[in-house]
Amino acid sequence: MFYLEVQNYLPNDVLKRTQKEFFISNTNREQSVFRAIVIFPVFSFPKITPKNLFSFLGTNGERSRPDPRFKMILWFIIAGTKGGVNRAKILNLIKDTPMNANKIATVLNLDHKTITHHVRILSKNDLVVKAPKGYGAEYQLTKIMKDNLNVLDEIMRKIGTK
Amino acid sequence: MVDFMLAAVVAAFLNIGLLLVTIGTYVQNMRVIRSYYTSGLVLVAALLMIQNIVIVTFWFTLYMDDKALMMSADMVAHYLFVINVIQTIGLSILVWITRR
Repeated sequence: MFYLEVQNYLPNDVLKRTQKEFFISNTNREQSVFRAIVIFPVFSFPKITPKNLFSFLGTNGERSRPDPRFKMILWFIIAGTKGGVNRAKILNLIKDTPMNANKIATVLNLDHKTITHHVRILSKNDLVVKAPKGYGAEYQLTKIMKDNLNVLDEIMRKIGTK
Repeated sequence: MVDFMLAAVVAAFLNIGLLLVTIGTYVQNMRVIRSYYTSGLVLVAALLMIQNIVIVTFWFTLYMDDKALMMSADMVAHYLFVINVIQTIGLSILVWITRR
């Protein structure tokens, strides 16, 4: 891993010399300087990687894999709380088309108060956001929720199997 | 003088009650969403339940029957009380979050 990164920064003759130096004892001052110079780009690689460098792996440079922390939060909100399944259904319903609480209640055949409660909890957890309209405002997914929709899809598949 | 052993057992009973509520919710969710996550939640809550059942069983049997053990246990009862009360506070928060 180390030399793989070094090859990107050093020409071949320097590489051969530095490889030798790397294996000798660490009493040489020159080698210490070398380490300070070479190790820096290796360990700071994620910081210097330009954004969208690996965009060909996903869509528009967005993450193709879900954020594990977000995944844990979403799983807990859905699988670890009372009425979590209904929360998942709400998120799944409004992922494509924003809806107001009344419409969600009608489609899911649930009480309006229940929907309002669930939406408030989802809103507090930054999963949905209310459009700035006032009465009858529509709810839509937040950016972080949209970015991690595959986690929701995974949960919905599990719900769908029952 | 406060009977810390009795207080610890009361806290253990409270923990069992709170864990019953938690397990009830988790099992309801597990019946709809079958996954390693829901099963894991039930398993963790069940293990905590076993821990508290062991404490209560210990109090009912060993502690009550053996006078020598009772004296030894009383010497460390306040530690057990603190542990159980912290667990009660933690489980209360978990139940509050779970039932919201």
